[in-house]
Amino acid sequence: MNDAAPNVPIKPVRRSLRERFSVVWLIPLVALLIALGVAWTSYSERGPLVIIAFDSASGVKAGETELRYRDITVGLVEKVTFSPSLEKVEVLVRLDKDIEEYVDGDAKFWVVRPEVSARGITGLDTVLSGVFIEGLWDTTPFGFVAYHEGLADAPLLRVGETGRQIVLRATENTTLAENTPILFKGITVGRTGKPRLVGDGTESVADAVIYSPHDTLISSSTRFWDISGFAFKIGAGGAELDFSSLASLISGGVTFETVVSGGVAVADGYTFEVYEDEPTARSSVFSDSSGPPLEVSVIFSENVSGLAAGAPVELAGVRIGEVKGLRGLVDEARFGDTRVRLLASLSIRPERLGLGDAITPDEALEFLADRVREGLRARLATASILTGGLKIELLLLTNASPAEIERPADAAPIIPSTLANIKDVAATAEGVLKRVNELPIEEMLANVVSFLESAKNLIGNEELQRAPAEIVGLIEEARGVIGSEQVQALPEGINTLMTSLTGATEDLRVVLEKLNEADAVNRLMAAVDSAGTAAAGVGTSMEGVPDLIAKIDALAAKATALPVEDLLAQATELATSAQGILGSDSAQALPENVNTLLTSLTGTTDELQTVLTQIKEADTINRLLAAIDSAGIAATEVGTSLQGVPDLITKIDALAAKATALPVENLISEATGLVTSARELVASDGTKALPATLNAALQDLQNVIADISGQDGVARLLATIDAAGVAAADVGTSLQGVPDLITKIDALAAKATELPLENLVTEATGLVTSAQELLAADTTKQLPGNLNAALQNLQGVITEITDQNGIARLLATIDEAGKAATTASASFEGVPALVEQISAVAATANELPLDQLITELTAVVDSANVILGTDGAKQLPESLNAALAQIEAVLAELRAGGTVQNVNSTLASTANAANAVARASEDLPGLVRRVNGLINQAATTLASFDGKSAINRDIRAALLEVQRAAASVASLTRALERRPNSIILGR
Amino acid sequence: MQLVGMEITGNSETILTAREAGLVACRRCARVWPQGLAECGRCGAPLVSRDPKSLQRVWGWWIAGLMCYIPANIYPMLQTRTLFTTSEDTIVGGAISLAMYGSPGIALVILVASVVIPIGKFIGIAFLALSVRKPSMLSTRHRHGLYEIVEYIGRWSMIDVFVVAILASLVQLSVVASINPGPASLTFALSVVFTMLSAQSFDSRLIWDQDKRSKDTAA
Repeated sequence: MNDAAPNVPIKPVRRSLRERFSVVWLIPLVALLIALGVAWTSYSERGPLVIIAFDSASGVKAGETELRYRDITVGLVEKVTFSPSLEKVEVLVRLDKDIEEYVDGDAKFWVVRPEVSARGITGLDTVLSGVFIEGLWDTTPFGFVAYHEGLADAPLLRVGETGRQIVLRATENTTLAENTPILFKGITVGRTGKPRLVGDGTESVADAVIYSPHDTLISSSTRFWDISGFAFKIGAGGAELDFSSLASLISGGVTFETVVSGGVAVADGYTFEVYEDEPTARSSVFSDSSGPPLEVSVIFSENVSGLAAGAPVELAGVRIGEVKGLRGLVDEARFGDTRVRLLASLSIRPERLGLGDAITPDEALEFLADRVREGLRARLATASILTGGLKIELLLLTNASPAEIERPADAAPIIPSTLANIKDVAATAEGVLKRVNELPIEEMLANVVSFLESAKNLIGNEELQRAPAEIVGLIEEARGVIGSEQVQALPEGINTLMTSLTGATEDLRVVLEKLNEADAVNRLMAAVDSAGTAAAGVGTSMEGVPDLIAKIDALAAKATALPVEDLLAQATELATSAQGILGSDSAQALPENVNTLLTSLTGTTDELQTVLTQIKEADTINRLLAAIDSAGIAATEVGTSLQGVPDLITKIDALAAKATALPVENLISEATGLVTSARELVASDGTKALPATLNAALQDLQNVIADISGQDGVARLLATIDAAGVAAADVGTSLQGVPDLITKIDALAAKATELPLENLVTEATGLVTSAQELLAADTTKQLPGNLNAALQNLQGVITEITDQNGIARLLATIDEAGKAATTASASFEGVPALVEQISAVAATANELPLDQLITELTAVVDSANVILGTDGAKQLPESLNAALAQIEAVLAELRAGGTVQNVNSTLASTANAANAVARASEDLPGLVRRVNGLINQAATTLASFDGKSAINRDIRAALLEVQRAAASVASLTRALERRPNSIILGR
Repeated sequence: MQLVGMEITGNSETILTAREAGLVACRRCARVWPQGLAECGRCGAPLVSRDPKSLQRVWGWWIAGLMCYIPANIYPMLQTRTLFTTSEDTIVGGAISLAMYGSPGIALVILVASVVIPIGKFIGIAFLALSVRKPSMLSTRHRHGLYEIVEYIGRWSMIDVFVVAILASLVQLSVVASINPGPASLTFALSVVFTMLSAQSFDSRLIWDQDKRSKDTAA
C-alpha cells in the first residue's frame, strides 16, 4: 500500500522498535543465552582425562565405573579401550577438576574387586554395584600426569595408612601366603602382600608392611618366624595343642621378636628371613650371617639314597652349609653314557670357612678352588647310623688325581667328588646278633635252673636250717663260759707264767751261747744238710703226690656225694648235747681249775728255770751235741730210706683209688648212726659228770707237779739224755735196713691194693653198725658212770702219790729210764738185724696169699660182727664195766707205787714242750709287730669311714639323691595309679 | 467461520471479506466491529484487521521451541534407578529399547508422539509461515487445513511429558526402585509449549491475504 504512492515523498511513520519487533524474540534469545551459559559452565568445570593402563579391566564399564579416592567418587570412566598394540587395556577416566593437580607421577590406581579371605571380606559393595577404580596419591600436588600404569593388586598400604614396608624372604621350610597377618604378642600389627618367586625359583619373597606406630618395633636384629597352623606336641607333660589365633590357623601368620638389642632401625625395603619356628629364629641371630651363601654343586655317580635336602655339608667335621636340592642329571656328552647321575646343589656359608666374616662368595670359591687343587673332594658319608641318613663331607685326599672346580657359565660351580664312605652298619649288627642268637643260652639257663633247684633243696633242708640256731646256742653257752670270772682271771695266770717263761728263756739263751762256742752250729748244719737230703728225698717221693691228691680228690668227690646231711643233723644234735655239757656247772668250774693248774705250772716253770741253770753248769751241752750228731746220721739214714717212698706213694695212690671205689656211703650212714649213739652217750648223766671228776683229777695233778718241783731230778735227766743220744745213734744205724723194708711194704701195699677191700668195708660197716648197737646198749650208757668212778680212783691214786712221797720214786724211775735208754741203745744195735728180719717178714708177707688173708680177715670181721651181735657181745660192756671196776681196783692198788715210769716220760715231754714254747716266744715280737701293723692298717681303713670324710659325705649325698629319686618315682607311680588319664591330659 | 463455510461451499470469486467490508472481527469473542476501533467493546481484546507482528512471533516461538527440542533428544528423558543399577533413557533410546524388548506398539506410540508430531509441527509451522510470503504449491484451502491440524495436534505431544510425570510421581519406592525425570523432559515440555505458542501466534488470515494478493496480481 505504501508502494502505491510513487513520487510523493511521503515519509513513512517511523514506528518504535517495540512496535516493529515482537517481544517474543526475547524468548529464543534467553534460551540461547541459557544454553550458552550451560555449555560454558560445563565446559569450564570439566576435569582432565586421565589414562590408566591395566593388564585386565574386568568389570570396568565406560560411563559407570567410578574412580574413588578415600571412598569418594572423583571421576568416571569415559572410555575403555586398548593400547595401540593391544597389550593393555586403557581406561579413560574423567577426573574432577579440583583433584587434577594431585594426580601426579606417584599416583597409583587399581581396580577394587570383591575379595573373600580368612581375614574377612573386602569390597563387598562392588559385588552388586560393580567394580570401581581406587586411586591413591599423596597430599602434595606436583602437576597433572595424564598416563598411569595401573596396579594389578591393591598396594599394601591403603589410603590413609602409614607404616614400614619390608620384604619377607621365606626359608626352605616356610611358606608365605598373601594377606597373612603379622602378629606381635597376638596383635595384628601388619600384613604380607602377595608372595613372588625370586632368583632361580629357590626362594620366595613377599612384601609386608608393619603399620605405624608398631613399625618402631622392628630393627635389624628382629627375627620373623612362621606361626601358621598349629603345633601339636605330646610328651611327658601331656599333649599340647598350640595355635595363635583361628585366623592364623587357617591363613597362617607371621610373628617377630627383637631377639637381641643393638639393632638399628631399618629402611623401607629391608629384607627379613622368615624362619620355621621360634627356636630356629632365635638361634639364627647367633649363627646366621647376612652374607649371601656360596652356591656350588657336586655330581655323584653312586647310589645316594639317604641324602636329602637340608643334609649337612661338613668340612673337617665343621658344618659349613647344607644341601639345597637334589636332581637327576643325564649328560651323555659329558660322561659318555646315559646313566642318571645325581646333582646335589649345596649352599655354603662363606664365613664358616674360617676366613673371617667379611668374605664374599667369590673369595670363598677361590679358596675352595685352591683346596681342590690340593686334593679336596666331596664325598657321601653316613650322617646317622640309625636312620641311614647321609651327609656330604669335604675332605682332603692325599693321593687324589688332579682336578679343578668346574665353572659352567650358566650353573653353579661343580666340586669334584670321590667314592662314598658309607658304613653298612646293618650287616655288621646283623652278624653280631646272629652270633648272639647262636649262643646256647637256653641250655645254660636250664642248668642254672636245676642248680638253683638243688641249692634250694639243700638250703631248705630242715636240719640245715636248724643248725645255725643250735650253733648260736652253743656260742651263747661258750660266751657264758668265757664270761665267767675264772676265765677272766686266766690271762693273769698266763701273764705270770709268761714272766717265768721269760726267765727260762733267758737261761736258754745262755745255754745256746754255750752251744755256739762248742761249734754246735756246724754240726747242726750237717744235721740240717742231712735233713735237707732227707727233705729232697721227701721231695722226690712227693712227686707222686699230685696223683694221690687227684685220687683223694675223687675220694673227696665221693665223700661229697655222701649223705652228710643226716650226719650234720646228728652232729648238730651232738653239738646241742655238748652245749648242754658245757653249760653244766662242772664245765663252768673247769676254768677255775685250769687257773689253779696254771698257777702250779708257774711254780713248776720256776723250778724248771733252776734246773736249766744247773744244766748250764753241767756239761750237758757236749752230750747233747753228740746226740744231735747221731740224729744227723739218723736223718741221713731216713733220707736214704725214703728213696723207696715214691713207689710206696704210687701204691698208696692205687689204694686210695680203690678206696674211692669203696662203698663208703653205707659206712657213713652207719657212722651217722654211731654219732647218734655217741650223742646219746654224751648226753647221758655220767658224761656230764665227767668234767667234775676231771676237775678233781686236775687238782690232784697240780699237787703232784708241785711236789716234783721240789725234787732234784736234773742230773738223772741228763743221764737219760745221754742214753737217748746213744739210742738215736743206734736208731740211725738201725734204719739202714729201712729202704728194703719200705720196698717190701711197697709190695705189700701193691698187694693190698689188689685186695678185696670192698668186702672188708662192708663188713666194717656191719661192724660199725654192731658197734652202734653196742653203744646204744644200756650198759654202754653206764660206761661213763664207771669211767667217772675210775677217774675218781685215779684221783685217789694221784692223791696217794702225793701223799706217799712218790717223787723220790719217780726219780728212781728216771734213773731206771736212763738205764733203760742205755739198754735200748744196746738193743738197737740189734735193730738192723731186726729190720732185716722184718724185711724178710714183709717179703714173706708180700708173698703171702693176702687175698686169702683178707678173706679170712673179712670172715673174722664177719665173725666179730656176729660176735658183737651176740648176746655175749652185748654183755661185753657189762664186762667192760667190770673190767673198769677192776682197773679201778688196780689203780687203787697202784696207790702203793709203780706209777713212776709213766710220770717220768711225762716229764720228758714237758721239757720238750717248754723248749718249743721258748722258740715260739722268739718269734712272738715279729708276730706282734705284724699284728700291730695289721691293726694300724685296719685303723686307717676305719678312719676313712669317719663321718666327716669326703667319701662319706659323697656317699651320703648320693644315697640321699637315690632316696629322693626313689621317692619321686614312688609319687609318680601313685599319681598314675590314681589318675591314669593324667598321662594324656598332662596334669 | 462463515468464511470457512463459504469457502467450503466453494465460490471464492464472489467472497467479500470483512476487511473489504470495513469490518473487523474480534479474535477472541468473534464480535464484529467496524474498522477503526482499537479494542473490542465486549471482551476488551485489541482489534486489528491484520496482525503485523504475527510472523515475528511465530518465528520467535518456533526458534525457541527448536532450541529446546535439541537437548530434549540428547539428554535422558527418564532416570530409572532400581536396586543397584541406574539407567537413563533418551526419548529415541527408550523407544528403541521398548521395540527391542518386545513392545513395538508402545514404541510406535512414543515415537509418534515424541518424535514424529513435534518434528511435523516444526515443519508445518515453518511451511505455513514461509508460504505467507511466497506462493505455494498448496492451495490456501489446504494450507488452512494444515494450520488447523497443526494447532489441534500439537497438544498431544505432551503425552510423553505426562508419562514421565506420572511415573516419577508413582514409582518412588525408596532404594528399591525410583524413576526421576531427566533433563530432557523439561526441555521437551518447553519445546512443546513453544511450538504450540508458535502455532497459535500464526494469523491464519495471512494465508488468505496472500491468496488475495496473488489474485490481485493475476488480475
